[in-house]
Amino acid sequence: MKPKVAFFDFTSCEGCQLEALNLTGEELLDLVGAVDIVNFREAMTERAEDYDIAFVEGSISREAELPRLQKIRDQAKLVVAFGACACIGGINCLKNHLPMDEALRIVYGQDAKYYDTIPARPINAVIKVDSYVRGCPPLTAELLKVVKALLLGKKPDIPNHPVCVECKMAGNVCVFERGMTCLGPVIRAGCGAICVTGGRHCWGCRGLVDDPNLDSEKEILGKYGLTVAQVVEKFKLYNTYAEVPK
Amino acid sequence: MQVNSVLVVDDEAIVRESIGDWLKDAGYRVATAQSGEEALDLIEKQDFSVMVLDIRMPGMTGLSVLKEVKAKRPWMKSIVITAYPSAQTTDEAKALGAIDYIIKPVAPDNLERLIRETLVSVGKEPTVITRPEVPPKPPAVEVRKLLVITKEDLKSLVNGLLGEMEVVGVRERYGRYVYDRVVSFEELCLDYDVTVLPPTKYLLPARESLLRFSMVDGSSEPVTADGPRAIIGVHPSDIRAMELLDEVFIAANPDPNYIARRQNTIIIGVDDLNPSPKSFAPSMGTSQAETGFDLLLTDIGTGYMVTVGSEKGADLLAMYTQAREPTGDEIARQRVVREEALTRYQLSLDISRERLPKLLEESYDDPFWESRSRTCLSCGSCVMVCPTCFCFDVKDEVALNLKEGERLRFWDGCMLVDFAKVATGENFRHDRASRFRHRIFRKGKYVIERYGRVGCVGCGRCAIACLAGIASPLEAFNAIADSARAKQAAARVLRQAMGEAELYVPRPAELVRVEKLTEREKLFEFRLRGGQKLGHRPGQFVEISVFGIGEAPISIASSPTRDGTLQLAVRNVGDVTGALHALGEGAVVGIRGPFGNGFPLEGLVGKDILLVAGGIGLFPLRSLVQYILDRRGDFGKVILLFGARSPAERLFLGELAAWGQSPDIEFQETVDKGDDKWTGHVGVITTLIPRVQIDPKKTVAVVVGPPIMYRFVVGELKKRDLADENIIMSLERRMKCGVGKCGHCQINGVYACQEGPVFTLAQLRNLREAL
Repeated sequence: MKPKVAFFDFTSCEGCQLEALNLTGEELLDLVGAVDIVNFREAMTERAEDYDIAFVEGSISREAELPRLQKIRDQAKLVVAFGACACIGGINCLKNHLPMDEALRIVYGQDAKYYDTIPARPINAVIKVDSYVRGCPPLTAELLKVVKALLLGKKPDIPNHPVCVECKMAGNVCVFERGMTCLGPVIRAGCGAICVTGGRHCWGCRGLVDDPNLDSEKEILGKYGLTVAQVVEKFKLYNTYAEVPK
Repeated sequence: MQVNSVLVVDDEAIVRESIGDWLKDAGYRVATAQSGEEALDLIEKQDFSVMVLDIRMPGMTGLSVLKEVKAKRPWMKSIVITAYPSAQTTDEAKALGAIDYIIKPVAPDNLERLIRETLVSVGKEPTVITRPEVPPKPPAVEVRKLLVITKEDLKSLVNGLLGEMEVVGVRERYGRYVYDRVVSFEELCLDYDVTVLPPTKYLLPARESLLRFSMVDGSSEPVTADGPRAIIGVHPSDIRAMELLDEVFIAANPDPNYIARRQNTIIIGVDDLNPSPKSFAPSMGTSQAETGFDLLLTDIGTGYMVTVGSEKGADLLAMYTQAREPTGDEIARQRVVREEALTRYQLSLDISRERLPKLLEESYDDPFWESRSRTCLSCGSCVMVCPTCFCFDVKDEVALNLKEGERLRFWDGCMLVDFAKVATGENFRHDRASRFRHRIFRKGKYVIERYGRVGCVGCGRCAIACLAGIASPLEAFNAIADSARAKQAAARVLRQAMGEAELYVPRPAELVRVEKLTEREKLFEFRLRGGQKLGHRPGQFVEISVFGIGEAPISIASSPTRDGTLQLAVRNVGDVTGALHALGEGAVVGIRGPFGNGFPLEGLVGKDILLVAGGIGLFPLRSLVQYILDRRGDFGKVILLFGARSPAERLFLGELAAWGQSPDIEFQETVDKGDDKWTGHVGVITTLIPRVQIDPKKTVAVVVGPPIMYRFVVGELKKRDLADENIIMSLERRMKCGVGKCGHCQINGVYACQEGPVFTLAQLRNLREAL
């Protein structure tokens, strides 16, 4: 029997689910041939509460999301964090640099009293996560890779080395040599260094490697002209949750 | 085994006897044989450490003897002597495992030194002294000739190539240079300093397919096809790096994918007249190349001086250019531009590079490794841009239908955190300092000792790529050394080799029986399709393959003396082992191997044997126990000690009980922690050792267990006065390719899949990473 797959979203832009729809027609058909998609708000109206694999998009930023996420964990055999917000907290965690009531006031002004908010966090801060599809947005190729690995009962092969490895494999001239700075040396590969290959630099959306040498990276950013505040800014965008004390 | 026993094989009595006498005088135990047949008879009965072998003999030739010996006694070292050196036979002899060759008449000192060096180290260090002058070779027409072409000629040559094949060359990008496809002569840059990636990426690409497989019927086929390609503008240092890769991928276990690419590649080199400020190629002896190219250009202003390196190169010149003989002025001009280029290098080694291996050896514990690697990002940039780095990883990628897929090879490198990590979680090079040191040791010591070619060609790419500014081997070499200067070169001809097409292709094997051993371990019995025997020795391992999941090294748990099946006991700990555990009888898996050296059986004959197994160390040891029981008369007293963590983790309960009853074997076991029902001995495995009676002069101990166990067991055995040579261990490492290439299982300069995984304590004393 084909495993039943459901997609869920929490605090997010739903761009990850949208990205999943960027699979080529052929890939999408293959995927549907391999699994039954029972819940996918961006793509279908029907919904079912009976599923085996849950792809969870978004970070957790409200009290009400905690029990909802727990319920998904209880139901699903496997939970996959889908995209940067779910995997590492992502840009939602920028608000964690402020007191929560101030964040509410800035966003909602006078209506702040009608809303609640808690410091944003990745889903593995709340529940056990079996697998990760990283990135902002995640790559469809990696989504397929993780799906295949789960179907084969194999640990998905997500690298624990920095983006530099794949950037070199791609034959890129180093961002630092082009007069810019980059988080690649401490960020987990798997994206094929897509941003650098496209002419930009690594923003850090896939999160840190397991044992990043942050001191050295910060020293290097300083050497290439960034002030301490600019270095902090650089890490803040996607990696606030890993960077600030929890 | 008698560690200093030498077998001398030669049909000429005078040579045989005189070599025999010298060696006896020098303190070796010597046996002699006057024919190949007699030699094989002797080897069947007795183990020798080294064989000195004549190539030309009536009857069986030296090469056929080597072939037999390689199959039957892969650990035995051979030195070939010949009166008629030819590149072909010496290369063949080396491919068959000969360590080195000596030309008759033999100088006793050289031979004795060579034997001594062979015995000292497990990883053989090639000796320079006994290497003959370049073996005579029929002179190829036009090759090695110097000619002159104009810039118009070069354009016509490149256009000619563009009409025939893919052409890659150097192009500018963001102010740096890269190798990329070119479609016209005008795009080519020939006076660049250094490229981001080396041209070796065309011989060993970042990602390539080794096999295509079916998960439905377990079949697979090698993938090697690659079209013809010309690489234009290769610097001599990169040519020298390619020659190292040739040595690695062609000499032993010829790699079909590499060879297909190499033979389809035309290399047009260009002298580096504008060296990168980070380059130190002259210090490594690599700023010029004598061989390894089809054509080599030197820009002499008015045109190019061309060195013809191959017949293919000569043909190209004839077809597309008006090449002519150089004038005396032009030859002088070439010398001048080369000399001027040498003055443009800004960096150099403070010592002679010949001293590097020894200097590094002596600096193993230097605080430099720790202090200098503090800022290492483990980002792998240094190894990814290195032309002499060739280590790789192998992974399966499957189609979404889960029915077929490909086995892919990717660049990997020893500077990456997980490079030496095994499925059980142990990481054999877990800290930055040990990874950093390992890379520098490869560049300055291990590679030259293993392959006879420099491990760093001084291109300076790593120094440019390293953001932390610590990667340059030059800086590390100079930091650990003081002064002196470097100079000297070596050369080698690309072999006309054929790849072993099946090198990475697993043989299908059917799972005929599964037995649950504990909660985590199962015993799997396989039969190779077609019913052949695997031909293994106890202590060897295989790469077991589940297509779509991957390959994993598993030691063989059954003895070749038993029937035609093969038993592997496997703990469910990773992806492949997990997939194996899910298989039922009748399933088909792939098997490559056997690999590794196995236990030195002949050295055990006539000895008392003390076997010490910790936990699943019993798996490989079981093959030896079975072997000994099947040939019980060959051995003295046999004692087996087994320790498990708890009664629930005891393995092979039926066999344990049988061994306990058997008069052939003295069996004792213990558990670290007992339970309600356990009435046996409690305590770690070392507590059993004082309880057995052994005669240290007659006893050989064979120890297999988790890494942590060895140090303690060795300590106990030393208390019982066992010599280092008589303590044998089998080490766990991450064996990925099994054929001595991918680099994951390396222990200092030694590859566990080739010289190991079985070592004596005496050998391990020289391998600092081992325990």
